[in-house]
Amino acid sequence: MFLLSFFRAIKFSFQDIFRNFWLSLVTVLILVLSLFIVNLLLAVQVITNSAISSIKDKIDITLYVKNGTPESDVIGLKNQVSGLERVKDVIYVSQIEALNLFRQKNTTNPEVLQSLRELDNNPLTAALVVKPRDVAQYDDLVIDLDRLNSPIVDSKNSDNPKVMLDKINKIAIKVNEVGMIISIIFIIITLLVVYNSVRVNIYTHNREIKVMRLVGASNWFIRAPFIISGLMYTILGLGITMIIFYPFLSLLQPYLETFFSGYTLNIIQYFSKHLLLFSGLEFAGFGMINVLASLVAVQKYSKV
Amino acid sequence: MIQLINASKIYQPDIKALDHANLNIKAGEFVSIVGQSGSGKSTMIKTMIGEERLDSGQVIIGDWNITKIRKSEIPILRRQIGVIFQDFKLLPKKTLKENVSFALQVCGQTPQKIRAIVPQVLKIVGLEGKIERYPNEVSGGEQQRAAIARALVHRPKILLADEPTGNLDSINADEIIELLLKINKFGTTVVLVTHNREIVNRLKRRVLTVENGRVVSDQQVGKYIL
Repeated sequence: MFLLSFFRAIKFSFQDIFRNFWLSLVTVLILVLSLFIVNLLLAVQVITNSAISSIKDKIDITLYVKNGTPESDVIGLKNQVSGLERVKDVIYVSQIEALNLFRQKNTTNPEVLQSLRELDNNPLTAALVVKPRDVAQYDDLVIDLDRLNSPIVDSKNSDNPKVMLDKINKIAIKVNEVGMIISIIFIIITLLVVYNSVRVNIYTHNREIKVMRLVGASNWFIRAPFIISGLMYTILGLGITMIIFYPFLSLLQPYLETFFSGYTLNIIQYFSKHLLLFSGLEFAGFGMINVLASLVAVQKYSKV
Repeated sequence: MIQLINASKIYQPDIKALDHANLNIKAGEFVSIVGQSGSGKSTMIKTMIGEERLDSGQVIIGDWNITKIRKSEIPILRRQIGVIFQDFKLLPKKTLKENVSFALQVCGQTPQKIRAIVPQVLKIVGLEGKIERYPNEVSGGEQQRAAIARALVHRPKILLADEPTGNLDSINADEIIELLLKINKFGTTVVLVTHNREIVNRLKRRVLTVENGRVVSDQQVGKYIL
């Protein structure tokens, strides 16, 4: 009997939605807008995190070795540097590798390649690329390397990227804050719109509710269709948002690829991978908001 | 079957709808409750279906003291009491059959039972040929018959009729009263609240007269005495 009543409540809920079609449409549209903004905020978070990761990945200190240093000495220095606590990894780039890398980087620059060919010998030096374990301790690592005071080190390239990282972090925090405020505003709007939709639905069904009460329908059965309507709005809103959001991400992807050249960031893949988690959480969150709004409206306006 | 014991109900600020009213209706009786507008007749009906709560006194339906009935118990009570009103309270966008089925649907009855019960009750009230019509396509009398059919679907032991003929012409009103008598013959206790002097006098059944929230007269074969 419970299942039968449950299915009837769902049927009545569908009737409510279609009988007040325009009202339902507006409710769903507001929900779509809110969900879209929440997803956009998520995407921004993913993008900023990726930007920070990609920059962190590129942070290193390059120790240029004096020309003519025997390779065994360079390997010795590499082992010494690897032993430092703040070092994550050390990559040895030989003179030949450095030349190859340089050529690769300048394939589109024929003048540079030509001038390289005109030189008799390899002008580049071997180098040790040192990756820090923690970017925050970058300055300390530079001091550690200086303390080694190795005679084979010619120069080092250690432009501190912390300033840029801090800037990106600040922008990310700001974007998240603004996004959060906008999301909260839209969640409140959603709450009010769903509440009012259910209220109007109750008014529209005033006569039906009275008859239900008269003939002995349970309080649960009278209220259930309106609460189910709240859930239906969530399902519809979420479905439409997903349908709109994926093409939007497809439009965004080429720009991201250009921006993060050399670093793989596939936002569509990221969202597809986490689709169940995100849609589940959004359904739970917005479902709760809508059921709450419906419950308050039903409690207030359908005296059973 | 139905008892009001010292029942009092005051609507704010100080309107005494019921003032220590007492009545006792036995199972299977056909009782008319008469009285002027505002005398407390409808309040009596409302307290019997749990729509209003008494300020003092008791209401007993069968063996059930419903004076302090819980909200969750009201639906159970209403499935045991059929109620009809002057304005029929039919749903205009549903056919007569759907209106009657609706009462069973919302109480969780199975489609098989609904298919079995609905044609039966519609036949009892004489609407078997008009079940697919909408309320606005039939007469007032037929609408009230449909409302009676809806009230009967739960096979109630009590049928409360609050001014059921108030919106009907005399021919339709007589037909409705005949139908209520027929239902009473099947064993259902019928309580008829009415203004209609002619009907009450012709019925020659028990009449309770209500005045200022009290039962002032109780005649076994009564007349409309106001």
